[in-house]
Amino acid sequence: MGGAVSGRVLAVWCPDWPAVAAAAAAGVPAHQPVAVLLANRVQVCSAPARVEGVRRGLRRREAQSRCPGLTVLPADADRDGRYFEPVAGAVDTMVPGAEVLRPGLLVVPARGVGRFFGGEDKAAERLVDAVGAVALPGQGGQVGVECQVGAADQLFTAVTAARSSTHVAVGGDAAFLAPLPVAVLAAEPALAAPGRADFVDLLRRLGLRTVGDFAALPAKDVASRFDRDAVLAHRRARGEADRPPSARPLPPDVAVGQRFDPPLARVDAAAFAGRALAAQLHTRLAAAAVACTRLRVLARTTGGGELARVWRCAQPLTPDATADRVRWQLDGWLTARAAAGGAGEGGAGEGITALTLEPVEVVDAGALQLGLWDGEDQGQERARRALARVQGLLGGDAVRVGVLSGGVGPGERVTLVPFGDEPVPAADPAPPWPGRMPAPSPSTVFAQPPPARLLDRSGAPVAVTGRGHLTGDPEQLAWRAAQARVRGWSGPWLVDPQWWAERWWEGAARLSVRLQVEVEGSVVVLLLWRDQVWQVEGVYE
Amino acid sequence: MFSAVPDGGSGGARAPKAVPDLSGLSQAQKLARLRHHLAGHHLAGQDPARRMLPVPAPVAELLPGGGLPGGSVVGVGGARLLLLALLAQVTAAGGHAAVVALPDLGLLAAAELGADLGRLAVVADPSPDPLEVAAVLLDGMDVVVLGADRAVTPARAQVVAARARGKGAVLIVSGAPWPGLDLRFEARVSRCEGVGRGHGRLRCLLLAVRAWGRSFPERRGLVRLEGDRGLVRVRGAQDFPGATAQDGPGAAGWGAR
Repeated sequence: MGGAVSGRVLAVWCPDWPAVAAAAAAGVPAHQPVAVLLANRVQVCSAPARVEGVRRGLRRREAQSRCPGLTVLPADADRDGRYFEPVAGAVDTMVPGAEVLRPGLLVVPARGVGRFFGGEDKAAERLVDAVGAVALPGQGGQVGVECQVGAADQLFTAVTAARSSTHVAVGGDAAFLAPLPVAVLAAEPALAAPGRADFVDLLRRLGLRTVGDFAALPAKDVASRFDRDAVLAHRRARGEADRPPSARPLPPDVAVGQRFDPPLARVDAAAFAGRALAAQLHTRLAAAAVACTRLRVLARTTGGGELARVWRCAQPLTPDATADRVRWQLDGWLTARAAAGGAGEGGAGEGITALTLEPVEVVDAGALQLGLWDGEDQGQERARRALARVQGLLGGDAVRVGVLSGGVGPGERVTLVPFGDEPVPAADPAPPWPGRMPAPSPSTVFAQPPPARLLDRSGAPVAVTGRGHLTGDPEQLAWRAAQARVRGWSGPWLVDPQWWAERWWEGAARLSVRLQVEVEGSVVVLLLWRDQVWQVEGVYE
Repeated sequence: MFSAVPDGGSGGARAPKAVPDLSGLSQAQKLARLRHHLAGHHLAGQDPARRMLPVPAPVAELLPGGGLPGGSVVGVGGARLLLLALLAQVTAAGGHAAVVALPDLGLLAAAELGADLGRLAVVADPSPDPLEVAAVLLDGMDVVVLGADRAVTPARAQVVAARARGKGAVLIVSGAPWPGLDLRFEARVSRCEGVGRGHGRLRCLLLAVRAWGRSFPERRGLVRLEGDRGLVRVRGAQDFPGATAQDGPGAAGWGAR
């Protein structure tokens, strides 16, 4: 529909990147078969190896039997990240704002790019040329990194299109994806949650073989039957934007930074610093109840240069994932610097003097991709903001919420805590509280109970004996300059039935009782006898 | 009436929208009926000008729309139990409420009436300007209760009422007179049960409620509040044994208040 408004995306995909990086590191020429092994199984292999029949998941021995000339190299995520930095740099110099999804895959916002280069096709050509001209370190002067470019309205479509070097027309995302097998939804690990492969398998067994079949399902049926990741996959299958248009606003002061003196020149020192910073960043993000999905890594070098790179993730970054990305990034930069001539100066080359991690996009820590339960949350958020503003006007203590608490009297049974604090009752409501009055409770509970006088028929004050009995039948209640005839009373109810267990020697002086008194006009008053006087604790009306 | 209330859900046959008739239903059926009722009246995601805040069933019978219309200013006088019952219903339905300048309100009684205390904020001392605080709260809450201790000038009252109307929130004023109320309640404990002479305990209160507004003449009803295992049940008083005409609001002296 109006997909053009949100901006086009170009995806730059370097096929078999781990194999390319491993081959470059080992000095193996690109035309020789290479396989990268993880846990004795082929993780990735290069195109020449694939031609010989090597496949992902094969055992080492079988791969070697199919392709005797295969060079087998161990997997190393750090190496992949380090070697990708020159590629990202090459793209970034051509089109600013490149975001790395994973080593081997990056996306650039294509808004304006097409016009600048005279069409997206031309821009893609230029990108392929630029990446092809990148010299990977350790390649021995050999030039050439292969890449494919896809363009589409949405990120996922662009990444999928890059695998076939397709340029999807504006608004054609859904139509492009529709005939593809559902497996493409799980093809890109950087854009799928861990359980996506199982989900795709399930879809296939349900008879949904193409992305179009899946996209044709109503969104609410998908959301009600599958998990969040499935909703996300569905949105992608329909060519809709991944994230709700309004992500959480960035909380202030979440960026973390550190200066280094002496400058960081060694990769391991940089990695250590990156890990510490990542932990610090996540403490702040957690305090703001958000999680980061796009992170900018900024570094300043001794030469006064500034380096920046944005990493984008499908899932919110964990502290470890953040640390990894920072390490790859610093590693890439430092290696590039060293290769650019710093090495010849005996370690006096450029180092990193300052490092900043800055979240670019955050989502709620328990983020929902689709605002299914928006209504509820919005109401709560609105209320929270209004109350916070009143707290700003009157002070934090002025706004309180009640929490049911243990206790005997109607006032004790609700603890008021300042709004925003953890609602902790003053006493545990669970254990039995003898002496509690049953419901209903008074609708008015006085914080400062006014004194009252209870009189018997002869006009003498009614008191409470040491055994908890009234000295006479109440006849008149005087309270707040009003006197009313008593129609009935219930009690006295001992406030603490075990009052004598401690401090028994104080005797009747410590005795405390409650009395419900009904006066004329159907007004029931809760009286409290304490310290030898009656007080009005509450009114039932 | 049908067209005035947005169709809430995709349910089958709907009862007429005013008040769900709960007589002769089992507990589960009542719950289902009330949930259905709430779907139409739900607090969130509705056109603020047309939403209705739920009120306890016996009170709903007194109101033409079956609830408190969003954006209105409501005066509640007399017994506070009615106020608490209104707050309990709103917060139990997922709304947010704030109580301003009513320091001695019994929150325990509200909880017994079914209120969700976590959604009920209390601003006991909003000095120097309770009206300002209430106006701020109207931005975010569904119901704001203002305990007015002195008369408010019509100009200021208008400003706050406009705020409520703009946000679809309900301002409930308790205490001093307020110019330009859309709806008024007067409640009085007409009878209480259970207190003997030195025995028994308070078990049940009968509230005589009068409601009238700009758009409808005075209506009267009885609300029975009965303690039941730590909770208070709110019922209409037609099933109140021995409820006679003289318990009603028509009793002598009542009209003069």
